[in-house]
Amino acid sequence: MKQTKKNLIGHLADWLTWKRFLFSILMIFFLTGILFPFYWMVSSSFKTKMEIGGRQPVYIPSGLKLDAYRELFDPNHPSYQNFGRNIVNTLKVSLPTSVIAVILAVLGAYAIARLKFKGRNLLLNGILMVYLFPGVLLVIPLFAMLTQIGDKLGFAIQDNLAVLIFTYLSQTLPVALYMLTNYFRTIPDEIEQAALIDGCTRLEVIYRVTLPLSIPALISVGIYTFMIAWNEFLYAFIFLNDRMMFTMPIKINTIFNDPSPRPNVVMAASTIMTIPIIILFLALEKYLAAGLTAGGVKG
Amino acid sequence: MDLGMVNAKGISRKPHKTNTARLAWALITPTALIVFGLVIFPAVFNIWVSFHNVGLHNLNDVFHAPFVGVQNYQRVFKDFSFEFQGWDNWGAAVTTVVYAFSATTLSTTLGLIAALLLNQPFKGKGVARAIFLFPYVAPMVSIAFVWRWILDPRPSGVLNDLLLRLNIIDTSHAFLSTRGLSLIVVILLDAWRYFPFAMLMILSRLQAVDDTLYEAATVDGANSVQKFFFITLPELRYVIGAIFLLRLMWTFNKFDDIFLYTGGGFGTKVLSILTYEFSFRLYDFGRGAATSVIQLLILVVFLVVYISLVMKSVGKE
Repeated sequence: MKQTKKNLIGHLADWLTWKRFLFSILMIFFLTGILFPFYWMVSSSFKTKMEIGGRQPVYIPSGLKLDAYRELFDPNHPSYQNFGRNIVNTLKVSLPTSVIAVILAVLGAYAIARLKFKGRNLLLNGILMVYLFPGVLLVIPLFAMLTQIGDKLGFAIQDNLAVLIFTYLSQTLPVALYMLTNYFRTIPDEIEQAALIDGCTRLEVIYRVTLPLSIPALISVGIYTFMIAWNEFLYAFIFLNDRMMFTMPIKINTIFNDPSPRPNVVMAASTIMTIPIIILFLALEKYLAAGLTAGGVKG
Repeated sequence: MDLGMVNAKGISRKPHKTNTARLAWALITPTALIVFGLVIFPAVFNIWVSFHNVGLHNLNDVFHAPFVGVQNYQRVFKDFSFEFQGWDNWGAAVTTVVYAFSATTLSTTLGLIAALLLNQPFKGKGVARAIFLFPYVAPMVSIAFVWRWILDPRPSGVLNDLLLRLNIIDTSHAFLSTRGLSLIVVILLDAWRYFPFAMLMILSRLQAVDDTLYEAATVDGANSVQKFFFITLPELRYVIGAIFLLRLMWTFNKFDDIFLYTGGGFGTKVLSILTYEFSFRLYDFGRGAATSVIQLLILVVFLVVYISLVMKSVGKE
């Protein structure tokens, strides 16, 4: 008996080294494949015009040259991009989008997940359908509808950040509703029943019991809806024409398509757009990784 | 005492119930109105637009646009960009299907490998997992332009430089602007960006697999390859089926990725790009809407076939 066990362990040991070898190779493959583009983005943003357009790529920039960032932020630079304005625009759109989506979704999701009423099951299934419905297919009707409404009520739909926020709700609200409904359904009903018996009203229960228990989910949903608006390209591309109103994604696209290519400036702008998201993600990884499997990023 | 309570409950029940329903509707109404106005109505309106002649000239009076029947659809089907022209020009419909299926398969496979890697015990696992999620959470615009810069055909493009140095290629390639090659590169980039989704889903399923299964197999003398094929893979079948379904849907409707990588040129024009071009380059919204309805129909056909074939057989197990 002991003999066979030793043999088995011996076999295991042999095979483990082979396995470890494969593991290391694959791990290195994945890590370099993932990290290299990020390294290339950040390092290119610190390269000078000479380094970026030379006869061969510069793997390590000679120093932290801020040429690219100066073009983005320094008003004295000959091709000053006023990127600060674009960052502000993006925030002006993403923060309200996220807040409105979360508030509306909390109310709707709570009712659908918890309260019993006629038509509840219909709505429960409807949420999944709405969540899964591809947002790309809504661009044309939304554009036509909003043009019509804007025309009637006398406001411009182009270069109007409020209109953009409104259209972003068509993408964020389904995600928020879907995630929060699923989350509220995992909170045991007994806790709320206990509070109700203690004499709380429903609204008090929501405010005092359900919401405090849902903070991780609220953070996760808030950040995902924020990220959707922060990253959104197509709607902003269609609804914004004026450089002063551009959000970051559209601005980066514009700098990239400039007749004189300046990859270092594009990379600097991309770095600025990426870093906050990565930091946010790393800081709150616990909540956010769970949110990913719960459908936080749709795409 | 007991009886009284029952009575009190019985009496209070009815008004309580209607109150709950009233509260429910009060809570839902604002959300429901917005979802209806921004998702459900537009989705139906899109079908309406596809049967009408809508352009910039009558956009501000769109509800009176002239009805043109299936003319928009006919024009899409006959369009040079839509129809299959031959092996060197697939047309948007075939390109979309090929793109969606290959990118989904590849990202799911890559996700499976990554999940198996991260399921091993090793130091720094938490950090590795966080890094593995970077491609998926980073903004698409940044990702697109980094890759375009890495794949740049100019001498400062780093991938060409590396491949030239390693003697894998003899001349610089324009990876994102060569017909044929571009679609392959876009599919690879898609797999790079979206594998973490499959990875996370598979990883959480892997952690739920009963360890005694593996122990029993070890006792029976199974090697790791056998364990993978006879325990791990069957356990993962359902989740992989679900991932494939979701990824297929999402990839089928992708716009940003391809638009930013190639602008839809060089044999990478998918249906969502064609929709965009008809609507916002040619300002023929009717034709654009028709394209998007066709896109949705093709997707629905695939989903129905997939669910009835694959998911059913998985569900029976």
